[in-house]
Amino acid sequence: MAQSSSASDLSPWTALLLLAPLTAVMLLILIYPLGLTVWTSLYNGRFSFDAYVELASSTLFLRVLRNTFEIAIGGTLVSLLFGYPVALHLAAQPPRKRTAYLIMVMLPFWTSILVKSFALVAVFGNQGLINQFLGFVSGGTLNVPMMFNRVGVILGMINFLLPFMILSILGSLLALDRRLILAAETMGAGPLRIFWKITLPLSLPGVLAGVLINVTLSIGMYITPALLGGRQDMMVANLVDFYTRQTLDWTAASATAVALLILSGLLVALLGKVRGSAGLAGAGA
Amino acid sequence: MTASSTPAMVELQGVAKRYGEVNALHRVDLSIAKGEFVTLLGPSGSGKTTLLNLIAGMITPSSGRIVIDGRDATTLPTNRRGLGMVFQNYALMPHMTVFENIAFPLEVRRLSKAEIKRKVGEALELIQLGHVANRKPRELSGGQQQRISLARCIVYNPALILMDEPLGALDKKLREQMQLEIKRLHAELGITMLYVTHDQDEALTMSDRIVLMNGGRIEQQGTPDTLYFRPETVFSAEFIGSSNLIPGTVEIGADGAYALNTALGRFAAPAPERAIKAGERAVLLVRPENMALADAATPASVAGHIEDSILLGGVVRHFVRCADGSSLIIQELNQPGRSGAHRGEAVRAAWQPQHGRLLPPAPAG
Repeated sequence: MAQSSSASDLSPWTALLLLAPLTAVMLLILIYPLGLTVWTSLYNGRFSFDAYVELASSTLFLRVLRNTFEIAIGGTLVSLLFGYPVALHLAAQPPRKRTAYLIMVMLPFWTSILVKSFALVAVFGNQGLINQFLGFVSGGTLNVPMMFNRVGVILGMINFLLPFMILSILGSLLALDRRLILAAETMGAGPLRIFWKITLPLSLPGVLAGVLINVTLSIGMYITPALLGGRQDMMVANLVDFYTRQTLDWTAASATAVALLILSGLLVALLGKVRGSAGLAGAGA
Repeated sequence: MTASSTPAMVELQGVAKRYGEVNALHRVDLSIAKGEFVTLLGPSGSGKTTLLNLIAGMITPSSGRIVIDGRDATTLPTNRRGLGMVFQNYALMPHMTVFENIAFPLEVRRLSKAEIKRKVGEALELIQLGHVANRKPRELSGGQQQRISLARCIVYNPALILMDEPLGALDKKLREQMQLEIKRLHAELGITMLYVTHDQDEALTMSDRIVLMNGGRIEQQGTPDTLYFRPETVFSAEFIGSSNLIPGTVEIGADGAYALNTALGRFAAPAPERAIKAGERAVLLVRPENMALADAATPASVAGHIEDSILLGGVVRHFVRCADGSSLIIQELNQPGRSGAHRGEAVRAAWQPQHGRLLPPAPAG
């Protein structure tokens, strides 16, 4: 109560003054360009929705859109599959060890995405470590293409997505009361039952947060599909790039960008809704 | 280690627990009979929780043997010991309804749906909370949550229920209500219970037997009466109930009668249970309710003045400051029209010599 009254003591003018710098920056670097993009998509000599109508009927756009969702959701699922066990392991560590391991989890953040992409080619490419080894043991008959296709894009993406997934799941797992596990053990529950009935449901808010962040991040991926994907793995951001730099069709580029923004906004809203209800059902702590 | 005829539910044989150089629990032998209500009482760090966790299987002993229900359980994992446990913070699953929480141990035991429904219903009936079956734990009060967690234990009829300060988070009134409820359940169901608390009143109220712990050892064990009226050490006397302790030197008369020479005078006392030699240091214990305000000098009395008098409802407590600076507590029953003792008034604190009890002195440090 005391806090809210002191907050309302702030005169509207002071509040406005405090918010002004950030507002100015946001207007300049976010709202203005966004507005410009929307404007460009709608106005080309005259005001019309033609660009959107064209987009909706363009097989290229629809295919790219499908790619985008497939890759984003696929990458998120792979990241969840790899990330959950890591988070589970981290949560079981004593704090000192956990910190050391967390640094290892965060390490990819400190490397340029370009460098990482090329490193992945060195490991997974046709001449990469793995294929050289496979070729060696199979006498040159075995070569698994893992780069410049869907596998390559997802490999490149999860490298970037995993830390976000691991950190949000870890947060949920650390908030889980250890005594619940002890209680379940005294009642005779085995480790598998404890995982399915207690650990997993109570970590769902973290899982959904991780999924939300991962989908949001991957839906706008640009460099990774460009570097590690094949021709079939174009994503919406690459299409925007294609329109702006190859065909110089800025109206189509803007419409594509706006469509991506709206679609990912809807997806985030949907996931947020699911997360909200999971949060209600989940840990009260 | 009462040599009772009932078979033991829990048997600890020379169980000890060390963490590096620290002895959390020195070699402990303890036997709990089937159907017994035993309380582990002690200050924090006395080893009572360590002992409980050893029996629960959350930690393994550094040495010794643990037998539960005739089966060596020293290294048995927690989930195969067939125990029930009630935690201070209830440890109810927040994502499950009350019904699901109580059904959980039955699902573990692979009971049929119909049977689970019946048993959960019965358990809820027993704690009179049938109407909350479909609520989530956090929609309930602390007392209700703890009753649910009791029901979750009782529902699968474990051979032994461990309780780790289960009422610590509740307020006084609710705590007293729950104490009676737990006692009632114990009497009705005959389940062996091992209860951990640091609250002496709780231990006195509930237990068949109290095991008083101190510094990782069992200080003394016995019925609440034994611990209250026949404490063997200064620690026991001080931890359970309040006490007046007068230190001095033992004197044994020609007829074998004991007395203690103290700074406040020489007081006759009954012979101690464990022999103390003449000339040795000892402490005379007199419970406050065995002391009274007296006008004239009696065989056992000390002069002093009233420093404070407090009213505790049914009883009155006088704090008497003696000539040597030590302080005594006198507890008298309160009565209508009782003439109040005034602060600073010169009085004598008197007691019957047979109510005194000689104890070995507290170990230094």
